[in-house]
Amino acid sequence: MIDSLAKHYEIEKKAERLFKIRIDQNELLRTINFIGSSSNFMTLSQITCADWIEDEVFTLNYILTTEQRNKNLMIALDIPRDKSKLPTILHLFPQAEVMERDLHEMYGIDFIGNATLYDFALENWKEIPPLRREFDTLAYVNEQFEFRAGREDNKDVKAETKRRRAEAKKLKAKMEAKK
Amino acid sequence: MIENKENRVIKIFHGPQHPGITGNMSVELDLVGETIQKARTHVGYLHRGFEKLVERRTIIQAFTIVCRICVPEPDPNEENFARAIEGLAGIEISQRAKYIRVMVLEMARIGAQMLWMGGQSGSVGLGTVAQWSIYDRDLILDLFEELTGGRVYHMYIYPGGVRRELPDGFLDRLEQFLDYLEERLPKYDNIFFDNSTFKKRAIGVGVINQDEALKYGYVGQALRGCGIKRDVRKDNPYLVYDELDFDIPTFDGGDVYARALVRRQEIRESIKILRQVIKQMPTEGDIMQKIPKHRKFKIPKDDILVSSESARGEYNYYMAGDGSEKIRRMQVKGPSLIHGFTLLENMLKGEELSNVAMIMNSLGICPPEIER
Repeated sequence: MIDSLAKHYEIEKKAERLFKIRIDQNELLRTINFIGSSSNFMTLSQITCADWIEDEVFTLNYILTTEQRNKNLMIALDIPRDKSKLPTILHLFPQAEVMERDLHEMYGIDFIGNATLYDFALENWKEIPPLRREFDTLAYVNEQFEFRAGREDNKDVKAETKRRRAEAKKLKAKMEAKK
Repeated sequence: MIENKENRVIKIFHGPQHPGITGNMSVELDLVGETIQKARTHVGYLHRGFEKLVERRTIIQAFTIVCRICVPEPDPNEENFARAIEGLAGIEISQRAKYIRVMVLEMARIGAQMLWMGGQSGSVGLGTVAQWSIYDRDLILDLFEELTGGRVYHMYIYPGGVRRELPDGFLDRLEQFLDYLEERLPKYDNIFFDNSTFKKRAIGVGVINQDEALKYGYVGQALRGCGIKRDVRKDNPYLVYDELDFDIPTFDGGDVYARALVRRQEIRESIKILRQVIKQMPTEGDIMQKIPKHRKFKIPKDDILVSSESARGEYNYYMAGDGSEKIRRMQVKGPSLIHGFTLLENMLKGEELSNVAMIMNSLGICPPEIER
């Protein structure tokens, strides 16, 4: 099965039963249709996304699995961060609906043809999609929420650790000098 | 409760306040009389941004988070996380550590099935079963406490192996517990699995057919309950599962009852596995490989997917490293993502309102792993 796909794609063996191919974003539907019709990778298991902000791309992996569930194939593709659009695969795999909704909410990727890209885990989210690297969780929390009373003396952990270590060192040196 | 203008369709939110809901989620139901016309899943009550948090932390910091992704079953998360890091960093763990991990995972599986039994029996009004099974789960938690220091979250399986050696006599105490549990199981048959109330409620309800199960990517009992023998431990073996002798139970009904019988049998298989682990576990071998200190532990720029079989089905972890000491991306897919949306929304159409809790329990939906 993998051998037959190797005639058409460059296959990277990632682990014992895990394979990966890399395609252009325009080839997504054609590739999934071809693999579905010419091999046993018949079910969509997961769609993953990673933000490579330094390269200005999102890398998505469409993970297909066999009927026997004994092999996984990762179909990897890059899309530009500023024009993050892909055709939906909802018509091929109904389970893609929730996966595309998730990625739309977390990265702002538009899946063209999926009419159900409404709220997933967030509600009325107005900020930039939170799993994009530029979204600063700490700044958002500091802006949106107030610390509960009693935490006014909250200290920066790193600075406080540094201060305590310096103090301990000083004390140790003092003790040794006394000896 | 909202009524529309024609006063026919009633919309209700089943959860998160409903005691029969499986965790903090909600199903929006359109009802005509008692019959469900449409169901829509809502999550978001428990979104803690684990995947985002992990991106800003070193391995040891991230490790304390991943177990919280599924409360009833934290150990497969720990193990998948550790195995993904090991896969990226090229670390091979010792045979002894692999056996200890299998032991932890199977103990966790029994604990999760016991917790499920409590929830499922409660959904059909058999409260006594829940009291029994939660008590028995507590005995497993006692063992976990002794082994790891924690009852629910163990933080025990770490990249490179496991964190502590087994306490003296631990395997004997585990064996004693297995003897006790085996004696208890026929009692659970009498009070729950053979109970006519449960049978009348569960047989023929929430039916899944084989074609749908394979095509839509269902996992765990949703597959095995309609006669399809699939289990990551056998199909794509990890750790030392290929050295152990156990069966994958299947039943043909495809309904809530068949899925319950699969779980019942899986407890027996886990006992079988644990007995072999006790006998076969090597006495020699490092439980933890030498790995870089966490601040110097750089994860290579690469990505990987690891899978395991949790008590509720296949669990996937996608992990990408960027050459730094922080994880670039970790994406979790538990059984609940597809079961809680695609499957549940389809399955509830035409069902009675009173069956919602029972169906949800049978699918093993755990909202925190949907929201991550």
